Amino acid sequence: MKYRILFLLLLVASCSKHPSLPSSFTSVDAEPRICPDYVGVTVPPNIAPLNFLVDSVDDVVAEFEIQNTKLTYGGKRNKVQIDEKEWHELLASARGKNLSVTVYTKKDGKWQAYKPFQISVAEEDIDPYISYRVLPPTFVGYDELSIRQYNLTNFQETTIYNNCQISRGLEGQCINCHSYQNYGTSNMMFHMRMQNPGTMIVSDGELIFVNLKAEDMISAAAYNSWHPFLPIIAFSTDHTMQSFHTREISKVEVMESASDLVIYDVKKNRVQTVLNDSLELELFPSWSPDGKWLYYCSAYHEYLKKYEDTDELLQQYKTLKYNLYRLSFDAETMTFGEPELVYDARSKERSAVQPRVSQDGRYVLFAEGPWGLFHIWHTSADVQILDLQTGELLNTSVMNSQLPESYPSFSSNNRWIMLESRRDDGNYTRTYFSYFDKQGRVHKAFEVPAEDPEYFRLLLRSWSRPEFMKEPVRITPRQFSEKALTEPIKVSQQ
Amino acid sequence: MGTNVRKILKKEENKKIRKAGNRKVATPLAFLILFILSFLVLCWYFLYVRNADTMFFMQDRGWWNSTSIFFHDCTRVPGGWLAWAGSYLTQYFYYPIVGTLMLIALWFVTFVVAKLSFKVPTEWSFLLFVPIAALLCSEIQLGYWVYILKDIDYVFYHSLGLFAALLLSLPFWRVLPFCEKVQGWIALAWVPLVAAVFYYPLGVYALLAAAIVALRTSWKSIVLLLLTIWLVPLLETSGTTLMRPDQPWMYGFRKFELDDLRDYSLEIPFYIVLAAPLFFPFIKRLGSKKLWQSQSIMVVVAALMWFCAYSRDFKDYNFHAELRMQRGVEECRWNDVLNEAARVKGPVTREMVMFRDIALINRGELCSKRYLYNNESIPPVTVSDSIHFRIADQAADLIYYNYGETIFGIRRAIERCMHYGYSYYTMRMLTQCALVNGEKENARKYLRLLDKTTFQRKWAEKMERFVDDETLLTTDEHFRMPLKLYNEGSELVGVDDKFVELTIMKKWMYNLTNDPEAQEVALGCAMIMRDKNCFWSQVQQFYNINPGKYFPIHVQEAMLFGVYELGMEGVNLSFVKFDQRVVDRYKAFTERLRQYSSQGLNEKQIGSALRPEFGDTYMWDYYVLRAVQTN
Repeated sequence: MKYRILFLLLLVASCSKHPSLPSSFTSVDAEPRICPDYVGVTVPPNIAPLNFLVDSVDDVVAEFEIQNTKLTYGGKRNKVQIDEKEWHELLASARGKNLSVTVYTKKDGKWQAYKPFQISVAEEDIDPYISYRVLPPTFVGYDELSIRQYNLTNFQETTIYNNCQISRGLEGQCINCHSYQNYGTSNMMFHMRMQNPGTMIVSDGELIFVNLKAEDMISAAAYNSWHPFLPIIAFSTDHTMQSFHTREISKVEVMESASDLVIYDVKKNRVQTVLNDSLELELFPSWSPDGKWLYYCSAYHEYLKKYEDTDELLQQYKTLKYNLYRLSFDAETMTFGEPELVYDARSKERSAVQPRVSQDGRYVLFAEGPWGLFHIWHTSADVQILDLQTGELLNTSVMNSQLPESYPSFSSNNRWIMLESRRDDGNYTRTYFSYFDKQGRVHKAFEVPAEDPEYFRLLLRSWSRPEFMKEPVRITPRQFSEKALTEPIKVSQQ
Repeated sequence: MGTNVRKILKKEENKKIRKAGNRKVATPLAFLILFILSFLVLCWYFLYVRNADTMFFMQDRGWWNSTSIFFHDCTRVPGGWLAWAGSYLTQYFYYPIVGTLMLIALWFVTFVVAKLSFKVPTEWSFLLFVPIAALLCSEIQLGYWVYILKDIDYVFYHSLGLFAALLLSLPFWRVLPFCEKVQGWIALAWVPLVAAVFYYPLGVYALLAAAIVALRTSWKSIVLLLLTIWLVPLLETSGTTLMRPDQPWMYGFRKFELDDLRDYSLEIPFYIVLAAPLFFPFIKRLGSKKLWQSQSIMVVVAALMWFCAYSRDFKDYNFHAELRMQRGVEECRWNDVLNEAARVKGPVTREMVMFRDIALINRGELCSKRYLYNNESIPPVTVSDSIHFRIADQAADLIYYNYGETIFGIRRAIERCMHYGYSYYTMRMLTQCALVNGEKENARKYLRLLDKTTFQRKWAEKMERFVDDETLLTTDEHFRMPLKLYNEGSELVGVDDKFVELTIMKKWMYNLTNDPEAQEVALGCAMIMRDKNCFWSQVQQFYNINPGKYFPIHVQEAMLFGVYELGMEGVNLSFVKFDQRVVDRYKAFTERLRQYSSQGLNEKQIGSALRPEFGDTYMWDYYVLRAVQTN
């Protein structure tokens, strides 16, 4: 009797985990519309379960099939939520193969079966962690802002630093530009602005807090890139301004009225000017993985009346078009070569920003929009890939959408591209991944998986500026906040 | 015989004693009932009769939904369950009468729990109402602070907290009825246990629950309490990233601070709420003294409660009128908005002016009836000595939306969400702006969330048809004019620097449009701003698109006044068809003006003298209200 009850309990438990397929249904000759859209995507074999939902149905069951293994999930109203352990076992056996997914939906008591769709499982893993800023799609206030990290294999999200830890009043504390050296977290950094300003740098595991504003610099250091192996960070320094459209649904225009490039030697606590041409607005430095090139973007702008005339710039914001350049770097002498044009976006009436170079040095990933630098506000902005061997752009249409895409980066093994996109609703930024195969082909992008497939639909905050990491950040939030309450070290200038 | 007589006498004596005893019990009970009735009336009067609009507003600026994300967001910090439950219950002020009854019911139950818990003698039971009266004051004292409250759960949070703290002490005092010595030992376990287990759900009220038990038992438990109060918040929040190191001990206690300012006067009710229950276990020691003593104190306490409620109630007429007008604008009840505008006696706020103008715009009367209403305005309201309330802090998004400036509306809405949290109001604003902008998926996102609330679901369902069929927008009262102004407005890039009215006026007075309704808005803005060039450009534009039509009355007044009184040269009025009554009034106005001037009256005196006869004209407005008043 005891065993029978146990058996029944186990049966009930297993039934709820693996619902049975409907015995009778009508077939629909179309693939289902699921959210997030995982139909026909290529995913890494270590990704967390691709939970999804189907709109306007009472019940849904999905059957995942690979070779002889079939597993069913669903039965929780309109959501399919997959057991994590089983999913990873399934993916392990599907590495380099295709998963077939058949979706059954129930509406008004009647079941329908959709045409099966494929999910390709790549051979190559994705870096297990990403970090990003979490914030409302705000413009000025910083009351609630955090940098978090997410484990892509199991949905686990933790906070790296939250401005609530020390922030007071309406002005708040802005935190931004987190970055890592070569995907590790022993050397990393992010900025703090407004309250307790400074740059939080982890150097070989040691935490330092620096005021990265030398006298000759336009501003404190901003957009940055760690040299892949030297204790050097390249920065742009700039005056940023922000204005609002009255009718354009892109809503916001961000401009730089002046910008230069510097490098900062973490060990020597010293900055060195790299570029400070008053007619060029140099931005977004990015080291090549071999450390021999510093890529960046720059827009030519000559002020007609006076330098940094913001009114003039406001009138001419559409003329600010950034090209991609690079400088050779000699690590021995710490000197740079002359600017070399990598991609002439201006001639195409476009603006290219945020370059990232692939590990093999062959491809440059960047965001391209109609003008300016903040493409997440430009609806026509896309992520592009330049093949340095051919000088041609690859076809990235399957990765992009009709809405803004921006801030792309390569995974440490080059096979995954991460980008931020507003394709879901036009306003809230989400993280997407796209497989970049060995033949240089880009595959359909998919949204970062969430435990509750409705999560991103309901979340009223953006995930912005995602960065890949091989490991989680080990410095605790409290360590960061305690350090932030100390006086930052003043930087010296060479 | 003798025995019988004794028995009868004894019976009579017993009867007398019983009667006296009944009187002894009945009289305090009757007084208590009277006190309770008086308190209920007090609550009803101040919550519903005087502040229904404020309570509705606080509800509307609240936020609750049935998603796990929201629950998680609430419960990440101490007091999370109170926040979640408080937000849920606050929704019921959607119908102020329902919310009021629920809140009063909660307070009454709190009283009952306290009475049961501490076995308070009937004649002293009125003292249990002291923290409840403080809670009442906390609800009605806010005034303009309602715009910048970060707590979406404010209305019920502290009431639930007090109730929970008293409820938690009930088992200790009633279910564990040991002798004092044993109870003292139990308290040593009870105090840290209650604080530790309930600190996250109840925040500071869990510490209150522990304190209520500790203070009445022994010095050991008081020492333990101090340790508990220090350690429990410290340990339980050690891993959180959502608060500053100085916050754990008082998390959930309402502080009225904004940047460097802190208004302690508004915090007084909460000090009382936290302090008064600590004395509850001691009330029964007062015992049954002479009834007149306790009942006299009861009368004094009742009078004090009425006095406190009256003095804490925020009585500013404009504040309440703004809330009513805002709701009227949102619900497109233009007549109500205009009636409210007409009722105001003294100077008004610029937000009221803008709400009224929106109503006039929607009725096509901006240039024909605007100056019938009072335009004399007060500067931005200052509260707590130094916080200046501008339109940007209040309903900027609603105003922007109604002028078709949806992007600026979204900007202000999101900005407020960042500072003060999401709300039903903001969600509705964001939805409407998204629909006008054609951002359907974005609108769907907000509607999905509103669909998971209790009272906004109907609104969300209604809006869904606009997502499916955008052509319906052009005929619906909520969208018709904002959509028209959005479409007819010009594309610019800039910022408002928190000057909402000025931004709108400046944009529209330069805007040349061929749509008659939108053009009247542009013409009206040029008149408000008193910009000569823009005014005459808009006059020309009006003439171009409305050939043969009479100019609106106020435009005629402005033209006559501008040309003849302000001496604008080079303007040819021969093409204008003037209404003879306007011309006559203009002539009478200038005649009277000269007459009063020659009598040596100063401008202010002239303005007052002209007001009864000409207060409804553009001329009076221009002459008397010298400065362009915008916010």
